[in-house]
Amino acid sequence: MLEFMRNKVVNVARLDEKTLSVHGILDDSIYSLEINFKVNISDLVCSAVEGRWLRWTTPECPRALTFLEEAEGFCLKAGIDEKIHKTVGRRACRHFANLFVECAYAVRETVKMLKWQAALKEDCELTFKLFMLNGGAAVAGSSVVTGKQKASSGPVTGGSEVVRQTPVRRAVSTASAGRVPAPGDFVIDLHLHTSPASPCASDSVDAMIEEAKRVSLHGVCLSDHNYVWSAEAVQALREKHDFPVFRVNEIVTEQGDMLVFGFYEDIQGIIKLSELKKQVAAVGGFIVAAHPFRGFLTFGADDVGLTSEKAMVREMFKWVDGVETLNGKVTATENGLALEVANGLGLPATGGSDAHDISTVGLFATAFEQVINDEEELLAALKEGKYRPVTFR
Amino acid sequence: MSNNILNFSMNRSTNVEKINAADLRSVCRLRDSLTDAEVTIEVKMPDMEISAISGHFRHAYLEEVKDLDERLQKVIGVRVGSGMLKIIRGLLGEEENLEQLVYMVEECCHGVILMLTKKVLLKAPDDEAGRVAFYSKMVKKSIRLYDRCAAFAKGTPLVAELEAENVGGEA
Repeated sequence: MLEFMRNKVVNVARLDEKTLSVHGILDDSIYSLEINFKVNISDLVCSAVEGRWLRWTTPECPRALTFLEEAEGFCLKAGIDEKIHKTVGRRACRHFANLFVECAYAVRETVKMLKWQAALKEDCELTFKLFMLNGGAAVAGSSVVTGKQKASSGPVTGGSEVVRQTPVRRAVSTASAGRVPAPGDFVIDLHLHTSPASPCASDSVDAMIEEAKRVSLHGVCLSDHNYVWSAEAVQALREKHDFPVFRVNEIVTEQGDMLVFGFYEDIQGIIKLSELKKQVAAVGGFIVAAHPFRGFLTFGADDVGLTSEKAMVREMFKWVDGVETLNGKVTATENGLALEVANGLGLPATGGSDAHDISTVGLFATAFEQVINDEEELLAALKEGKYRPVTFR
Repeated sequence: MSNNILNFSMNRSTNVEKINAADLRSVCRLRDSLTDAEVTIEVKMPDMEISAISGHFRHAYLEEVKDLDERLQKVIGVRVGSGMLKIIRGLLGEEENLEQLVYMVEECCHGVILMLTKKVLLKAPDDEAGRVAFYSKMVKKSIRLYDRCAAFAKGTPLVAELEAENVGGEA
């Protein structure tokens, strides 16, 4: 029996010589909504964006319509999708953003066809395929882009386009989240991101370190996504702030994100966890599974019937040396499941805020029983196992 | 110029169904003026791991994907969930003739997530006050919803309780 269905229809018609009219409909088991707007054929800039709800969920969903106007002026060339998600998705509704992305795709495909039809007037035997292979795509603002072009036209991280998460403290009780540090503990936030090294972060490394000092942490680990800080840069930060700063590389694997200590290779793209383990083991590094049960916006691991017993047999846990059981970006239930799995498998547990801005630096951390002076000592301490995750802030 | 005849039309449909007591099949089909494509994934529950995948892709000018079946198999074992998009894109590649297929794998995964979301939403009460309480509780349970869309934006009614308990306390 069908459990869920989503249908999307996008139609594009030519309004006049210079303008397209776009109509998109998204109708699924939960939502029903529509978008209408116009697009200049010459530069793919959209205008007159209007939306309409037919079915929605929360009493506040209708507010989304007001924010659709933020898409006015968007140029719908390839690479616009992330900007749509960050503006329409974050400020209005992710389902309107989903439909808008479809409309942008339809516009690009339409313009290719229009350019070909114009070219046919000069060469009536020109096939669409030949036209496109001969560079018609470039003329038509096509989806043919190089990786480099994509990077430059993708997520906008500067100026007014940055979507900042409003500071809010996590609604996690200390009792459910973990122990607090004891006197004499050396407390390090093992997981935080900085801008611009992590595109998803919004505060600078200097601001994050200063906040760590302000909240009385004893050290921080810079865990930027697939980004290796040089030893010299980190040393300079230590001296500049007179504060212990360490490196950990958060690497994306097919099994999820891994915090890797003592391994400074610049891994780009997706690496198999088994392969990463080989490389890390070869240099004596240490792998911690980051937020292993990070779930969804409206439901969690518990809602799909995932128990610690079932989770323990996941392949991921064959390759990691530790488990992050307190992470500032997941729910108490998800952190609790991670702790149960770590305990069940006898793996050491760590904590980290996963902060992407200063508001949550040190929310969770790891308390070591001894002072950590450098990365060698940090690695040795991680392997020794004399530490525990703590709620710090 | 305006003859009301469409220049381009697109239909994309994603369907999710149970294939046994627990596991799911999600199918995304695309038919537009230039493309005919389909992706099917099977998802093992409760781990939500992609356990099987297949697909086809025909396009008016893009070449067929060589070894498509082999390429798609790379996502087997990937978990449907947070962070999956960068993993799927990273595993399948970024060639132009793969862009739609990658998007459709993501759409299949979104279908699974929405199916599970639907189950949660069915528990919402019918009356207005009950619905406000239900969604206020939801954002308190899942902080990732906070300020992620207009309905849960800072300063709006559904996040008032959360803000009173947390942001207010921090000020």
